[in-house]
Amino acid sequence: MIVPQAAKMAKEPSSAPDYMKLLQIDIKRLYFADKDLARDIKLEVSTQERILIVGATGTGKSSLLNTLNLMNQSYEGEILFEGKFLQDYHPHELRTRISMVMQETYLGDGTVQEALDEPLNYAALKNADHSDRKQRLGELLESFKLSLDYLAKRVNQLSGGEKQRIGLIRSLLLRPEILLLDEISSALDQKTSGIISDCIFASYPGTVIAISHDPLWQERWDRTWSLEAGKLIDNSGVK
Amino acid sequence: MDISYLGLALGLLLLLYPILIFAHLKLKLSRQLFISVGRMILQLSLVGIWLEFLFNQQRWWLTLIWMLIMIGNAIFTVKGRLKYQGKILLPVISIALFTSSIIIMPWILIMIVKPQPLYSPMYVIPLYGMILGNGMNSCALALERFESGLADNWQAYFTRISLGANLWEAALPPFRKAMHAALLPQLLSVASIGLVSLPGMMTGQILGGASPLVAIKYQMMIMFAIFSGVTITDYVAIRLYLKKRFDKFYLPKGGR
Repeated sequence: MIVPQAAKMAKEPSSAPDYMKLLQIDIKRLYFADKDLARDIKLEVSTQERILIVGATGTGKSSLLNTLNLMNQSYEGEILFEGKFLQDYHPHELRTRISMVMQETYLGDGTVQEALDEPLNYAALKNADHSDRKQRLGELLESFKLSLDYLAKRVNQLSGGEKQRIGLIRSLLLRPEILLLDEISSALDQKTSGIISDCIFASYPGTVIAISHDPLWQERWDRTWSLEAGKLIDNSGVK
Repeated sequence: MDISYLGLALGLLLLLYPILIFAHLKLKLSRQLFISVGRMILQLSLVGIWLEFLFNQQRWWLTLIWMLIMIGNAIFTVKGRLKYQGKILLPVISIALFTSSIIIMPWILIMIVKPQPLYSPMYVIPLYGMILGNGMNSCALALERFESGLADNWQAYFTRISLGANLWEAALPPFRKAMHAALLPQLLSVASIGLVSLPGMMTGQILGGASPLVAIKYQMMIMFAIFSGVTITDYVAIRLYLKKRFDKFYLPKGGR
């Protein structure tokens, strides 16, 4: 449970003083170009919730997910993260706290180690505490069933599943409060997809919001949000 | 040594050889040859008459107006070569070319060449033409490479911003590549100069009667000035372009 600090309380908008909520989403209209995708999406997300977004192609799942880390501005409405408007955060800082892993993660053309260290060059992370980074990296590699030898491998020698796991590890090393996953297992076989979902559920304590079509993924979520015909239906506690 | 008009006509006769060769090969270039040569003769005659007038007048404001016309032409030439983002390009290119002009021209005029008077058009106009011409070509190349560097790999760009990169950090790899692509040809030309052909300015000076030792000093100075001017132009242009191309969330304006 998050104990609000005095400073944080002062910044709370008066309308919704619910400090327990990590995210408060109130989207009046979500659109893409001229096309309306959905209307009146009102949701609250607590810490450690595991949420799956389902729906047919083109219903706006990715658009919705992308609004949550400021990667999509095509909406009308308000989104609050820890009681503060998303737009009031520096985009680069917010994106290390609400971190997205995409369907095709770009890892560069160097080694795995270089790919994993890429975010350390960014100002948003210069002041972060990296003292236990090596240890955490070791633990993450182990739980994702990758050996330490992988660090020296070149990215172009990796399989699709290995790339996706390295991409996830890179985002998890940022210690995000929310992890957004956009179809990360769609190009992978069932076994790899299973390893990845096991690992996320076992080793990541934070909030996960994911889009996935993989049946293996469908069972273990606290909530599903299903997007249909411009409406979002929130099924809490459905397993 | 002046060339007589009869001499010039004899020079024109040299074009008989290409015309005969084109006819022999049934190569459809003769029409283009007439158009190109005709345009060249007309443009150069007008410029010659105009510059003769300008040099005789020696008025600072006439020199300045001509410089402004030159930079205006350069700006629209760059804009014409780039087929995208028309609205944001005009201020970007203008500021970039003005910045390098304002840094380079006073430097070489006040500290190095020191013509009397300082605005003397016979020095200012040719020197500015060389600096501006190179800046113009390089600026078009740099912006073109930067945009294509982004377009070739949006995946990389979006991955970087989703990992916490700010705009500068996310755009630095294509920025570097664009600068490299735009500046490398300049550096190669600096290294090769004088070995095969003499550069145009040096040729002109030597034919005009200047000592080769004076001519090479001018040539070196103009090479320093051109390379510095080109680098400043490209850097300013991409930095400004970057600001206009992305919004405050580092997302590309008007789509990818």
